[in-house]
Amino acid sequence: MKRLLVACLFAAAGCEGLQRLNVSSMTGGRLDGVDLGKVAKGVNQARKGFAEISESEEYFIGRAVSAQVLSRYKPLNDPGLNAYAQKVMQAVALASDRPATFRGYHLQVLDSAEINAFAAPGGFIFVTKGMLELVRSEDELAGVLAHEVAHVAKKHGLKTIQTSRLTSAFTIIGSEAAKNYTPQQVTQLTSAFEGAVEDVVNKLVVNGYSRDKEYEADKFGAQYVKAANYDPGALKGFLARMQKAEGSGGGGMFKTHPSPAKRETELGSVSPGPAYKRSSERGRRFSAAVQL
Amino acid sequence: MIHRLLIAVALALTAAAAYASTITVLVQQTALRKRPQSYSPSVGTAKLGQKFESAGLEAGFHKTSGGYIHSSAVTERKVRLGSADSVGGSASSEEVTLAGKGFNAQVEKSYGQKNAAANFAAVDAMERRSVSEAELFAFLRAGGLLEGGSK
Repeated sequence: MKRLLVACLFAAAGCEGLQRLNVSSMTGGRLDGVDLGKVAKGVNQARKGFAEISESEEYFIGRAVSAQVLSRYKPLNDPGLNAYAQKVMQAVALASDRPATFRGYHLQVLDSAEINAFAAPGGFIFVTKGMLELVRSEDELAGVLAHEVAHVAKKHGLKTIQTSRLTSAFTIIGSEAAKNYTPQQVTQLTSAFEGAVEDVVNKLVVNGYSRDKEYEADKFGAQYVKAANYDPGALKGFLARMQKAEGSGGGGMFKTHPSPAKRETELGSVSPGPAYKRSSERGRRFSAAVQL
Repeated sequence: MIHRLLIAVALALTAAAAYASTITVLVQQTALRKRPQSYSPSVGTAKLGQKFESAGLEAGFHKTSGGYIHSSAVTERKVRLGSADSVGGSASSEEVTLAGKGFNAQVEKSYGQKNAAANFAAVDAMERRSVSEAELFAFLRAGGLLEGGSK
C-alpha cells in the first residue's frame, strides 16, 4: 500500500510536481518507513543529462558553438539580407513551441557557396549564401529556417552532448548556485564546456544529426510555418529542388542530412492553414532582399 | 481507509498545484501577451528571475495578472539566486540560474583564451541584430501573414 501511494504520487504529480508538492507536510515526512523527502531528492539527483542544462547555460554553449561555426565560415556582411532573413526567422520562431530562448533567436548569413544551414543551441541560426541561392520564395525560406528553429526548440544540439561531460560539470559545481568559481574549478568547468561544445560542433558541421532528428525538425518546422500563416507546402517544393541540386555536387547539407527525396516522403502531405493568403508583397520583398 | 484518504488528498493538492503555482522567468526577457497567442500584442515585459502566480495554462501560455506568458520561458521549479559577479560579459544582468549550473561568462572567457580562433566578436555582432515586436508585426501584416492589426 505504501508503494502504491508513492506510485500514485509520482503518477499524479510527475517528477517535477513531486518536488513542488510538499509530501512531507502531508505525511509528517515519513510514511511507515518510506522517507518521501528522500524519494523526491533521489529523483532530483538522478537527472544529470541534457535536460538539466539551464537556459543560460544553453545560451553560453550556443555562443561558443556559434563562435566555432564563425571561425570556419565567414559571415556575410549584407545588412539588408541579414535583417530580412532575421525577420522571416523570427516570424516562424514566434509561431514555434519555444518562442523565447535565453537571449532570443539570432540569424547570420554565411558567405559560402556550400548549400547548408545550422542551428546552435540557444537560438543561433546560420544559413549559407549557397542555400539562399536555391530558395525561390519567402515561404520556402520560412520552411528552411523553421527546420532550424525546430532543432533549437527540440534541443537537438544539447542532446548530442555526452552525458559524462555534464556529469563531470555538475559534480564540480555541486549543489551550489552560480558564484565566482576558483581558478581550479574554472579550469575543470572549461574542460567540460570545451567537450560539450566540441560534441555539438561535430554533430552540426561534421557528422549531422540522426535521420530521426532531421525528420522531426521537418515535421515541427512545417507546423511552425503553418502556424505563421506561410505555406508549408513550399518546403516540399524546395526539397524537390534540393534533390536536383544534390546530383550536381555533394558536401554541405547533403553530407549531413538524409536525401531531400526521403525527407519529402517522410514529411508527407502538408497544407496551409485557413488564414493563409498569397501575397505579392512577400514576392517583392524576397526578390529585393535575396539578390545573390 | 486512511490510505485512500491520503491518495485523495494528494491528488487534490496536485490538481490545485497545477492550476495555481509560482512561476519564474528563465530568459532575459519575454513578452506578457494580451491573449494566449504568439501574435497577440504584448502588454508588458517579463524579466529574468521575475516571479508570477500562474492561474493556469491556456494553449501553452500561463495566465498571470500581468498577461499571458509562454510556458517555455518559465519554470515552476524553485530557482536560486546567483551572484551577478559570476556572469559578466555579454550576460552581465543575469542573476538567476537553477541550482547546480555553471557554464557562464567566466567559463566562456576561459574557453575563449584557450580557443583563440573562436570568433566571439562575430557572435556579438550577430546578437546585436534584433527586430522589435512592432517592426516584426508590421512585416507580418505587410506580407499578409497577420490579419489587419495584430490579433
